[in-house]
Amino acid sequence: MKSLNKWLSRFAGAFNKNANERDLADEFESHFQLHVDDNLRAGLSPAEARRQAILKFGGVESSKEAVRDRRGLPFLETLLQDVRFAFRMLRKNPGFTAIAVLTLALGIGASTAVFSLVNAVLLKPLPYPHSERIVFPWRQPPPGTNFGYGDIPWSRVGFNLFSREAKTFEAVGAFQSDSFNLTGAGDPERLDGLRASSGFFPALGISPILGRTYSPEEDQPGRAQTVVLGYQIWRDKFGADPAILGRSLNLNGETYQVIGVMPPGFVFPRAEEMPGSFTFARQVQIWVPLALDPGPPVRAEDDELAVVARLRPGATLAQGQAEMNVMAKRIETIFPRGKGWFESRVTPISQQLAGDTRRPLLLILAAVGVVLLIACSNVASLLLTRSLGRKREFTLRAALGANNHRLIRQLLTESLLLASFSGLLGLLLADAAIHFGKALGPNIPRLAETTLDLRVLAFALGVSFAAGILFGLAPAISASRKNLTESLKAGGQRTGESHANAKFRNALLVSEVALALVLVIAAALLTQTFLHLLRVDPGFNPSRTLTFQLSLPSAKYPDQAHIVTLYQSALHQLQDLPGVESAAIVSTVPLGGPTQSTGVRIPDHPARDSSGGPFANYTMASPGYFSAAGTTLLRGRDFTEADTATSLPVTVINNAMAKSFWPNSDAIGKQIGPGSLLYPAATVIGIVADTKRLSLREKPDPEMFVPYTQKVWPSLLTMDVVLRTKNDPAAVTAAARAAIHSVDSDLPLANVSTLATLVDDSVIQQRFAMYVIGAFGALALLLASIGMYGVISYSTTQRTQEIGIRLALGAQRRDVMAMVLAHGGRLAALGITIGLVAALALARTLASFLYGVQPADPITFAAVALLLCAVALLACYLPARRAMRVDPTVALRYE
Amino acid sequence: MPPKNDVWQGTLALMILKTLEALGPLHGYGIARRIEQTSGNRLAVNYGTIYPALLKLEQENYIQSEWGQSDNNRRAKFYKLTRAGHKQLRQEARDWEQTTAILARFLTPDSGS
Repeated sequence: MKSLNKWLSRFAGAFNKNANERDLADEFESHFQLHVDDNLRAGLSPAEARRQAILKFGGVESSKEAVRDRRGLPFLETLLQDVRFAFRMLRKNPGFTAIAVLTLALGIGASTAVFSLVNAVLLKPLPYPHSERIVFPWRQPPPGTNFGYGDIPWSRVGFNLFSREAKTFEAVGAFQSDSFNLTGAGDPERLDGLRASSGFFPALGISPILGRTYSPEEDQPGRAQTVVLGYQIWRDKFGADPAILGRSLNLNGETYQVIGVMPPGFVFPRAEEMPGSFTFARQVQIWVPLALDPGPPVRAEDDELAVVARLRPGATLAQGQAEMNVMAKRIETIFPRGKGWFESRVTPISQQLAGDTRRPLLLILAAVGVVLLIACSNVASLLLTRSLGRKREFTLRAALGANNHRLIRQLLTESLLLASFSGLLGLLLADAAIHFGKALGPNIPRLAETTLDLRVLAFALGVSFAAGILFGLAPAISASRKNLTESLKAGGQRTGESHANAKFRNALLVSEVALALVLVIAAALLTQTFLHLLRVDPGFNPSRTLTFQLSLPSAKYPDQAHIVTLYQSALHQLQDLPGVESAAIVSTVPLGGPTQSTGVRIPDHPARDSSGGPFANYTMASPGYFSAAGTTLLRGRDFTEADTATSLPVTVINNAMAKSFWPNSDAIGKQIGPGSLLYPAATVIGIVADTKRLSLREKPDPEMFVPYTQKVWPSLLTMDVVLRTKNDPAAVTAAARAAIHSVDSDLPLANVSTLATLVDDSVIQQRFAMYVIGAFGALALLLASIGMYGVISYSTTQRTQEIGIRLALGAQRRDVMAMVLAHGGRLAALGITIGLVAALALARTLASFLYGVQPADPITFAAVALLLCAVALLACYLPARRAMRVDPTVALRYE
Repeated sequence: MPPKNDVWQGTLALMILKTLEALGPLHGYGIARRIEQTSGNRLAVNYGTIYPALLKLEQENYIQSEWGQSDNNRRAKFYKLTRAGHKQLRQEARDWEQTTAILARFLTPDSGS
């Protein structure tokens, strides 16, 4: 209690200083008077009385100090004093302050922006309750099969078994994507939907904000259809109508009743979070029951089921994996011929959603760390320079009684104040950068969640603080090492900096140059990668094309005949449009998504390998597709209207298939068909050039095109339309919409785009990396050159006397200039050498991001080294010129 | 053994409290004079050192201060014990007696069996 009182009084005492000071002075004065009175009474003379009283009292000031120390909170008071002083110092040198704050703000802003991205993607906990229990048991193909993908879909029967018999999981859900044409509510609109089993929502653990999700009873085939809406569609299409529940919607020609609305931000799954073997939309807008048939297996099922499951509380990942292994054996007993195909790998949701962005993100984090280091080192150098100019001030303070501790504290306060200004400015910059990045950035999962939340703010605060201490230490330590008399002498201010200081600054500069070199090399390599990718021949002509997707509802188009009729009339309408050169349909446009692939059977070469291969892409197209897409027909002929369901089955193959399956003979006339003997083999009638299907980097896979009228098994319900336009594709969009509307007024156009946009989108990651690392590299280069300018400029100023002497003794002006340039050149050369070595060592980590250029490309290294030389020389140029202009007489008098 | 400064501060506080109990309200000069006298002039301290101690005791609420008039009509700040101060004095005096008693047992030549 007594100490609480004491601290409260001291706290109060900190605020009442003037009154307390007067009180104390009065008390001491009264003390003196009393003592003097006593002495006078004892018989001393007035002068002696006073003297004795003074002697007996002891030090007046030190007693006052002791009382003051006890009265207020001295630490707080001196801190405030320091801060006020630091403020004044910063204001006195606006140029210095501006450069320092801006430099540091750039570093802090950039690293905060990158950290917020890392935070959103890697660190933030997922918005699902107990997300550590949510897993995906992806089915795996047996080792050795050339499927190209590691995670493959489940079958209906397998999932039914799993959901019935799962023991370590408390909820199991299957889902697959589907698209729905919404009609009867304004313009027909294509919605990306998810068919999910009733266990899907409990597995994820997210509850709707309105209504409910469907129960297992409702998730049966033949029941009345229900739909759960996503937040965005509820808000945008239905005006967030609170009476939405119970409303009927017409989806794909069928009636669905709205039973719930999911919370904002829930759009699971996003396409980029799911394995590439599945087709998912960018975001999910509605969820409907999967309504799996619980019965025994039937032929030709093409379910593409993904499975999500929630472990029971207390069950571990290992236990879940063990159960899946058991499950695999169980399914094998039902499908003995599929032995080895039912293994699965249990992946936790955190790993699934981060995707393979961990490495690129860490790369960017490293790059920005480099920039921050360079920025700090520049500011340290600046502060060191300035503190040297204040040497006299510090030694005076020390002589007046300030101890080391106090001096260091004051200098640290100055740097922390500087750092906090920079931190604030940096936060603003980071905010702008985040908005910029979100608008232009690639489909990094959870990019949309990047914000300046508390953790990011704490990071920015921590970085500012650490930066402040880091670059504040150097001048603080140098200030505390002092030689009192030396510095107080008249010429003390200018008698060169201590050797240790100069070495430290040089070391800082060399490391800045090295770091900048490494970063610029990385930027150069990434830029070359991007440019190479753009120059890749995609196998089609992206200019003047319009593409969109049509999804036919199966209710309205129940069989092949109806579907073909629709497409034929649509194509006729589109072909007749004035702005259109040619129109065609295809399963998937190049770079428009994953393709259907299948094992193929070549009657001439019956050898099949154990995995069921060889494999090829299987694509349906209309006559004229190749010319619409701009893919060259190398040999033979395209499909024509004569190739129908009843005529000879034909196929056009790509060059890769021709070369790999018939390397020594002409492929035209040969037979090839899908793996199953059920389907007839088709005759090869033409060979086209290879097209890039999934990315510009890929080596093309064998592909066979069949006329859509002769299709065998994949559904034709969703096809991409490609129009080659005479002029600007955007001008044709409205006409195309009208044309489709005239054929079927309920059919929406989806994914309206151009092939050129698809090509651009396919390199969006590389472009983003190039911009970001390029920006960092440019920043690093700028900062390093500013640093070099600062160091050389200061050291030249320090050597003014020496230069004067040299000139007076007969040196030529250009010798002086050469001397300065050589000084800078030596430092730069050292930095460049170290940087080259570091870049060589780090080159391998960059390899997976590159295309068309080696990580240790000698030309790039040499070019960047030369660039840095040039920049360094440029930075030294001004100080060198100044040195050249030194007037010897002035210099010799210069103090 | 706590540093000498703290020991001195502690004993000085006790001496101030005792002085105030014995003499009633008194100003800083008077207290310092009296302490010097009571110690038989064996403590030769600077009078100025009393003021930080007075402040501390005041912050801890053991004494309170008031400006008043001295005998010779000089204006002076007088300190007097509070009730908590009385209690504290008795407590500390007891503690000191106990401490000296225990030490005495150690330091006398015969320490029993």
